[in-house]
Amino acid sequence: MPQLWLAVFLLLLLPMPSATAETTDDSVALIAHPNVRAVSLHPNSARAIFAMRQRTWPDGQAANVFVLPDDDPLHARFSKELLNVFPHQLKMAWDRAVFSGTGQAPGRVSTQSEMLERVATTPGAIGYVEKGGTDARVRIIELQ
Amino acid sequence: MRGSALSNSSKRALRLLLPVVGALAVTPAAAEGVMDTLQMQGFVSQGYVVTNRNNFFGPSSDSGGSLEYTEVGVNASLRPRSDVLIAAQVLSRRAGGDGSDAKPKLDHGVVDYQLPTSPHRTIGIQAGRFKNPFGFYNQTRDVAFTRPSILLPQSIYFDRTRSIALAADGLSVYGAERMGRGEIHVQAGAGWPQVDDDVEEALGLDQAPGSLKAKPSAIGQVRYEHNGGRIIAALSAANVRLRYDSRTGGPGNGEIKFQPLIFSLQYNAEKWSLTGEYALRRFKSERFDVPMLNRDDTGESGYIQYSRRILSDWQWFVRYDVLHADRSDRSGRAFEDETGLPAHTRFAKDLTVGLQWSFHPQVLLAAEYHRVDGTGWLPRRDNPDVADTERRWNMLLLQTSLRF
Repeated sequence: MPQLWLAVFLLLLLPMPSATAETTDDSVALIAHPNVRAVSLHPNSARAIFAMRQRTWPDGQAANVFVLPDDDPLHARFSKELLNVFPHQLKMAWDRAVFSGTGQAPGRVSTQSEMLERVATTPGAIGYVEKGGTDARVRIIELQ
Repeated sequence: MRGSALSNSSKRALRLLLPVVGALAVTPAAAEGVMDTLQMQGFVSQGYVVTNRNNFFGPSSDSGGSLEYTEVGVNASLRPRSDVLIAAQVLSRRAGGDGSDAKPKLDHGVVDYQLPTSPHRTIGIQAGRFKNPFGFYNQTRDVAFTRPSILLPQSIYFDRTRSIALAADGLSVYGAERMGRGEIHVQAGAGWPQVDDDVEEALGLDQAPGSLKAKPSAIGQVRYEHNGGRIIAALSAANVRLRYDSRTGGPGNGEIKFQPLIFSLQYNAEKWSLTGEYALRRFKSERFDVPMLNRDDTGESGYIQYSRRILSDWQWFVRYDVLHADRSDRSGRAFEDETGLPAHTRFAKDLTVGLQWSFHPQVLLAAEYHRVDGTGWLPRRDNPDVADTERRWNMLLLQTSLRF
């Protein structure tokens, strides 16, 4: 049986087409509450924060994460293109965090206007909207 | 143990936790902001099990099947400071056995502190009752919404001795290092595992006068995630130690060591996932006066599973899962010659197909069919007379789960 597993492992290491990897999408904007001091975020930090594995901004301020519904097309684009993870993986990461005592669930909003509202009024908040859909109440965070 | 509201091990976990919670006590003004971070979630799952032979989770081979598979959990979490998380979950679970098994237990209860982070590193420590990082699924094994199937592959996540695998009371340190397109996650814990009646039953000590006690044990996992989790590889290892205190007429004091090693591998595409886990499980018991209780076996298990997401809310899977109780006696024939008990109690090969439908984010319906050769992971409590079990059997499971 070990040989079988080795074979499977080697198979998985073969180069595979990556649907999403290198293209940086510019149609989704990361937004934050105006009291957030960061102006940009490393993609690794963004992924760890949205996966609910890291609970603070890089400067130590508590991060409050907001997301759209799992089946919202903007959420799918945001996950795949900005974070480079599939929505089903994010959902699994949240469920594992919540039910194993290692993290909390993100705040849920149902529309982009609700997203803007919640991010604008929650200190430390981070979220995302369609580029061009932001307003003066929130700060735009660049991905480094 | 059944008499008190909380088990002794739960009390031990609380004793560990309370001083830490006290130390974090906040002023009333700050408390209001803290209460904004309070989250509560829960789930209820009800299963229905039908088998043609042998019993699984209750009298499943009777004409009406068994409804004795119920899981209910409620958890709460709080962030009193930006770098601290307090989280706890109470779980009630019945899987065959008797109704008193459903008595709520503290599943986990931790204070988690994260050191200042950088884009490339997260380090934290958990104190209290922490979930054991064992394979891909152990930490949330009782939560239907986190499982790919109704039953997790029984060769690795078997029910027989589940209590010692669940959680430990002590300290756990975790870290993540992010570099390039990969992330390495490490977790190492030390503490006392939980020991319930299931372990005594599995060891054949349930009728003997005496009791099993947990000794300080260790568990660790190293996990590598490539390219946002397209590929996940993990290695988990544990050294679980138990002590048997015998009383007059018992089998004598004994020492038990359980040393599992699990290799886990998963490939995730957008629409499908391929998962495999392989485990070597060393079991050693020594110093008992009764020679038959002194063993040193290494069990071997593994499965491979393909799951596919279709439409937006359906998922199906197929899995082949194999367990050998003793890798030096895979067929079980040596065991049969030695003990007179059936060889098929020493292995199990399970081919499973199943379907999940989540037509609402808070509801999950699932069905699966198992074709099993061997009874290696069949719970003994459901089949008290192993000589009476049948080698080949089939099982249909249905489950409804709600979350709130």
